[in-house]
Amino acid sequence: MAQQEFIIQRYNPDTDESYEESFNVDVQPGQTVLDSLNAIKWEQDGTLSFRMSCRHAICGSCAMKVNGQSMLSCQTQVDAAAERGDPIRVGPQGNQHVIKDLVVDVEKFLLQFERAETWLEPYEDQDPPEREYRQKVEEFDHWSHASTCIHCGACYSDCTVAAVDENFLGPAALAKAYRFVMDSRDSKREERLQFLSEEQGGIWDCTRCYMCVQACPKDVLPMDAIMELRTLAIEAGHVNNHGVRHHKGFMSGVRKRGRLDEMMLPVQSVGIGRLLTGNLAAHKEMMDYTPGAIRLLKSRKLLTIAQRHGANAEGREQIERIFEEVEAEKHHHDVDAEAFGAEFETAIGGH
Amino acid sequence: MSKYAFWPGCVAQGAAPELYTSTLAVAEHLGMDLVELEAAACTGAGIISDGEPYLQDVLNARTLAMSEQMDLPLMDICSTCVGVHRLAAEKFRDVDYRIRINHHLAPEGLEYRGTVDPRHLLWILLEDVGIDKINSMVKRPLEELNLGPFYGCYLVRPERTLDFDANPTRRDSLEQLIEILGATSVTYDGMTKCCGFPILTMNKKNSLTMAGTHLDEAQSKGADALVTPCPLCHLNLDAQQPDAAKVIDRNLNLPILHVPQLLGLAMGLEPETLGLTRHVVDTNRLLNKIGA
Repeated sequence: MAQQEFIIQRYNPDTDESYEESFNVDVQPGQTVLDSLNAIKWEQDGTLSFRMSCRHAICGSCAMKVNGQSMLSCQTQVDAAAERGDPIRVGPQGNQHVIKDLVVDVEKFLLQFERAETWLEPYEDQDPPEREYRQKVEEFDHWSHASTCIHCGACYSDCTVAAVDENFLGPAALAKAYRFVMDSRDSKREERLQFLSEEQGGIWDCTRCYMCVQACPKDVLPMDAIMELRTLAIEAGHVNNHGVRHHKGFMSGVRKRGRLDEMMLPVQSVGIGRLLTGNLAAHKEMMDYTPGAIRLLKSRKLLTIAQRHGANAEGREQIERIFEEVEAEKHHHDVDAEAFGAEFETAIGGH
Repeated sequence: MSKYAFWPGCVAQGAAPELYTSTLAVAEHLGMDLVELEAAACTGAGIISDGEPYLQDVLNARTLAMSEQMDLPLMDICSTCVGVHRLAAEKFRDVDYRIRINHHLAPEGLEYRGTVDPRHLLWILLEDVGIDKINSMVKRPLEELNLGPFYGCYLVRPERTLDFDANPTRRDSLEQLIEILGATSVTYDGMTKCCGFPILTMNKKNSLTMAGTHLDEAQSKGADALVTPCPLCHLNLDAQQPDAAKVIDRNLNLPILHVPQLLGLAMGLEPETLGLTRHVVDTNRLLNKIGA
C-alpha cells in the first residue's frame, strides 16, 4: 500500500475562508480519487464536503478539478492522476460559485438548458403514433454522441468563454440544443437555429478551444456539435451576424489569394453592406479597430501588398477550381435533397 | 541535411512577418532544408469549416498530399495550422471519405494516401534536431530570463489527435525548450487556455478579457516575456495588448516571443535578424537583460 498526498482547495462559508489543506491517504492499486476523498472524510476530517452518488460515472455528481482539469473523480484513478510522486491537487469546478469546499452552485449551469429549451417539442398537428415516436438508426447514429450528456458540468467548468462571460450558453446546453435540432421528431428546428444564431452567448461566441471536448467524460464532443450548428444555421439562412460575415470574408480571401487576408477581415466582419448603408454601430466598430491598425503600422508589421505572399499562380488556379467544384457538388446535393423532400412529403401526405 | 515540406501559414506571411523571417534564419543555422509549399492553401483555421467543412477538408488533403508526394515530413509553424492539419489527417483515415476527397485532387495529379504526420517546428526541434544538438548551439544562455509558455489550444487539445503517449516530449514541449535554453519556465493557469483571438471580431470584450487575464497572471508570477508557437495567439497577446490592458484595467508590459525568436536569441542571432524590432510591445528591456 502506497501513500499519496492530496492538496485540496477548501472553502468555509461560515468564515468566508479559502485555503489549501494537505491530506495523506493510503492508496490501493485501482483506487479512485473519489475513494480517496471518502477515505479522508471518513477517517481524517468529516467536515470535507463534496458531491457524489453512483460511483460509476453515470450520475454526473462528482465532477471536479483534478490537477487543474475537470473530470469525474469516480472515473479517475489515483495512479493516472499522480505524476512522478507529486501531490494530487483537487479543487471545485470552475466558472461557478463555490458553496463549500468542492461543492459548487450548479444553478447557473442548469439554467442554460432552460434558456435553450432543450426538451422535445413534438409536432402538435400530428396524432401520436400508435406505438412510439421512431427515429431512423442512421439519423440517430449521426448525433447520438450529443445525447449521452450526464450534466456533470465538467465542460462548463473548463469552458474558456464561460470564464469571461456569464451569458454564454456553454458547451453542454449547446450540445443538447444540437441534439434536438437534429432529431426529426422535434418540430422547432428552425426556431432553435434562429435562437442559437441570434442569442447573445450563442453558437458564434465559442472560441473553438477544445476544452469541452477534452473535459467531457462521455465523449459528447460539445464543440463539434456547436460547429455543426454553425453550418446548419448558415444553411438555414441565419447569416446576419459577425460570425457568418467573418466566415464569408475569410473564405473570399482564401479563394482570391489562397491565403487569409487579415487586412480585409475586420472590415468584412463588421460588414461592408452595414458600413455603406451608414449603420452607426458598424462605423463605431470600425473606429475601434483603428488604434490597433496604427500600432501594427508603427511596428512595421503590415507588409505591402507586393511583399505579402499568396499561393503561387498555379496554386491559385487549383484553389479556385476546388472552390468551384465543391460549390457545384453542393448545389447538386441541394437539388437532390429538394427532390427527395418533395417526394417524401407526397408520400406522407404533407406535413 | 534534414529536409522538410514547410507550410508557413498565412499570418507568418501577413501580420506576423517576423515569425517567417526568424524561422528561416533559425532553420539555416540548424542546417534544416525547408521546401516551402508555395501552391498550398490556408488551412481554413476552423473558420472555413464553420459553413463549409467539406471544402476545408479538401484544401487540407491537398496540402497533405503535396507533402506526401515530395516524400518529406510536413512542418508547420503555427499551433492552429498543425491542429487543423492533424484533425484533417484524422478524418482521412476513413478510406471512403479519402476516396471522395481525392476526386478533387486528381486533376492536378495529387492523391492523399494517408501517411502524413503534420508536426510543429517546436516538436521537430525536440524530436528530430534533439536536445544535445540544441544544447551545443547555445551561445547566449538565457539564464536571466523567466519565460511563460503560451501554447495555443491546438498544440494541447484535443489530446486524441496529438499522439502524446507515443511522443511524451510533446506534452510539455514548450517548457522543455525554455529550460534547455537556460531560462526558467513560469507556470500559470492561462498557459494552455485560449488567447481569445478566434472571437476578436465577434466579441471583442470577451476576446480581450481572455488575453488580458492570461497576460496579467503571467506578469504577476514574474514572467519577463511569454513564448508562443502560435502566431494567432501572438496577434492577440502582442498587437492587442494595449487594448487588453484597458479592458481588464491593469498595466501590462509583457513582450511576446515566437518560438524561433527564442531559439535564435539563445543561438546568438541578432535581434534585428529575428524581427524583434517588429513587435508592438517593446522588446528592448528583455534584450538588455540578456545582453543582446
